Amino acid sequence: MHVPDGLMDPLVALIGLLEFLAFITAASYLGSKRLQDKQLPRIALLSAGIFVAQMLNFPIGGGTTGHLIGAALFAILVGPALAVVGMTVVLIIQALMFGDGGITSFGLNAINMAVIAPLTGWGVYHLLEPMLGRSGISGKNIAVGAAAWASVFVAAAACAAELAVSYAISGGAYGIAATVSIPAMLGYHAVIGVGEAVITVGVIAYLWDVSADSFLSKDERLKNRAIWGRITSSKTLQASLAVLVVFALALPLYFLYSSEGMDGLERTMDDAGIEEENAMLASPFGYGESYFAVLFAGVIGFVAVALIALGLLRAIGSTKFRE
Amino acid sequence: MRGLTYKYEDGTMALRDVDLSIERGEKVAIVGPNGAGKSTLLNLVAGFRMPFSGRVLIEGRELNHENADELRSEVGLVFQDPEDQIFMPTVEEDVAFGPRNLGLDDIDARVTRALRSAGIEGLAKRRPHRLSYGMKKRVAIAGILAMEPEMLLLDEPTSGLDPRARLELVKLLREMDKTMLIATHDLEAAAEIVDRAVVLNVSVVMEGTMSDIVMSKKVLQDAGLELPPVSKLFDAMGRMGYPVDSLPVSMDQAVAELTRVIDREAKRTSELRGPGNPRSDRKSRQSDARGNGD
Amino acid sequence: MIITHVRGHSALRERDEDLDTSWFSQLDPRVKIVGVFSFVVVAALLTRPEGVTIALTAAIALAAASRVSAKRLIVAYAAAFPFVALASASIFLFSGWDRGLTMLARTSSCVIPLLVLALGTETFDLFSGLRRLKVPGMITTLLMLTFRFLLLLSDELERMKVSRQARGFRGGRSLLDRYGLRVLSFTAGMVLVRASARADRVYEGLRCKAFRKDMIPWRTSSVRSRDMAFLACLAIVAGVLAAVQYEVLF
Repeated sequence: MHVPDGLMDPLVALIGLLEFLAFITAASYLGSKRLQDKQLPRIALLSAGIFVAQMLNFPIGGGTTGHLIGAALFAILVGPALAVVGMTVVLIIQALMFGDGGITSFGLNAINMAVIAPLTGWGVYHLLEPMLGRSGISGKNIAVGAAAWASVFVAAAACAAELAVSYAISGGAYGIAATVSIPAMLGYHAVIGVGEAVITVGVIAYLWDVSADSFLSKDERLKNRAIWGRITSSKTLQASLAVLVVFALALPLYFLYSSEGMDGLERTMDDAGIEEENAMLASPFGYGESYFAVLFAGVIGFVAVALIALGLLRAIGSTKFRE
Repeated sequence: MRGLTYKYEDGTMALRDVDLSIERGEKVAIVGPNGAGKSTLLNLVAGFRMPFSGRVLIEGRELNHENADELRSEVGLVFQDPEDQIFMPTVEEDVAFGPRNLGLDDIDARVTRALRSAGIEGLAKRRPHRLSYGMKKRVAIAGILAMEPEMLLLDEPTSGLDPRARLELVKLLREMDKTMLIATHDLEAAAEIVDRAVVLNVSVVMEGTMSDIVMSKKVLQDAGLELPPVSKLFDAMGRMGYPVDSLPVSMDQAVAELTRVIDREAKRTSELRGPGNPRSDRKSRQSDARGNGD
Repeated sequence: MIITHVRGHSALRERDEDLDTSWFSQLDPRVKIVGVFSFVVVAALLTRPEGVTIALTAAIALAAASRVSAKRLIVAYAAAFPFVALASASIFLFSGWDRGLTMLARTSSCVIPLLVLALGTETFDLFSGLRRLKVPGMITTLLMLTFRFLLLLSDELERMKVSRQARGFRGGRSLLDRYGLRVLSFTAGMVLVRASARADRVYEGLRCKAFRKDMIPWRTSSVRSRDMAFLACLAIVAGVLAAVQYEVLF
């Protein structure tokens, strides 16, 4: 899922970068407040562990291999804010030192794997855990597994959507067509997600069994749950979450539609025509109509992120006042 | 340190009522078996084991949560495993790391000084990962020395070293002009370096010079400590009837003691010579000793 | 794979000789980061095949001039290649071969300079440069610790692997092998628990040296004329690329 430089449309990448900056700012603000000296090496160790896990490829049949993401594991163990920061660190090391992922596409990679994946994992886990957790250890394991699977699947969906949007607005110069990227990414990661789920369940079960406090102390876990309670009860947050989800669903659909309706695939098929190629390739920013659509979408996304961050701050602020 | 008590998180008592005070410039050893709390004590003084009950005063200031970071740069803790303490990619940068964090000036001069006192001037540009274990220990010590702490806390400085590296390190530490608290079960090395020692087994069992400690066999036995070979040799000689006054622990002491023993023995044989036959006398003593020595 | 991957970099850290040899490794890390990043950004924006070709040539020229070990660069590139190739192949299939080749050249001309930067710079200098470029202290500190712990983990993994093989474990080869995956995940948990004690120790070691959550940049190199020359060269290349892209040239 590591998108290299030069694959995503610059505009999509720019929007991704802006959104990522908003998230990482909020996350490091929240994270640094809760980060105790004792936790710092643990977070770094988890990052290192996830880095290693991401390099271990396992075969999923048909000659292809997949690797883990580990975002759900991270988020369940240390909470959302620190997970976002920790996953970002993993991605920086990969991009900077191993050429996996790129600089211009860093924002998007980070949004997919360091923001969407851990937050989804964390959200699904805390959504399911109160329902299933009572039925004992296996219920808990199901919650963890579902969270891990969902985190991979949703992140892959986001990545596919970004590729499709890149393809659509650049008329084929960047990205991968939706008809390819979405089924391929989703199908592929639905399978990978199973592996991720099994391993996440195993690791978390082991850690809770052997040393429950080694990564997140008990009262930290309780605090996490309290924050989740606040989030589900806060109207601002619910609204902004809903906006974000609708936006996330609507954006790729819109571009799918537009790429099929306007030019998209057809256009690329007969792009041997010289005049069209010139028009299309002359400038990286000359997109006409779709340009504004993406810009608009980006602005909405940015506002939604800002709202969520604000809501989170308020939610956490009010728990603090109560204590 | 006064009435120091510390429990592990699982409730095991690690230290009980430890009283210890160290003067400036003094070198003190803490000896004791594994699990006696030696390392715990050092870590506690360095402010890594909170909370504890009792008081730790460093330069008259009481150690607590707030000033632990600050006081830690006054008591330089050197780990048993240098691999855990060396962080930076070159020796020079690793040694400069501490002073730089403290915001000290004239870092280059400090680094040079620290490297010289640790006896590794020539290694400044080397990669620590490539050095021998003994050299790594020195790099770790230099890294702490560069911060110019009032005191050094050394955790098992001689463990894992080959005999030569150990000898050189002992020499280095003996000649170094610093207050030191050394946790070790290497009695021989401790005797070479320190003025005073404490036997620790959860609480303080005994305090005194190394020779005092070696002489009190019961304490050693209770603490599960083994005498160094030299002391054992003299112990056996004493039991064989030679006039051994004190058990030497280090080679130097052994040489001095042996000279004295020979003098005394010579005096005694000359006294004995005359009426009886000294040779047969000696022989009977030897066989006697062989009987109960083994 | 992980072992060779990480070791590749740790080998870089361990060699004594190649410290101050090449001009590239002596540049101010900040200059290198800014220069390479801006080159990558410009290269990623190119769409005309001519421009992409020039960018790729420039990237290879940089790699050659920096005197980074060619062998290591190729190994690193090969490790990053699947990510590049996958995308290019799909473009190749669905948008025609010329698009596919352009994409391949474009991503390569972005990846190569990044790898040159990573291989031609002391890793810790890279982090220090990032810190001096005002990346938040929490992130650079975590970067530094994470990198250090990677080496620690790879040691620990190696040991576990040996002990597992000694007991005849041969699982985890397929997703259907649930038992194998379970053993693997327990192993992972065990490695994490064991490494976390050492990780704490390493961090205490740092705190012994007055480390307080934020790292102070070491090697306070300053921007010299050499650095400026490097930046100027990259700026000229970027200018040429932009000119080509907007059809001023060619």
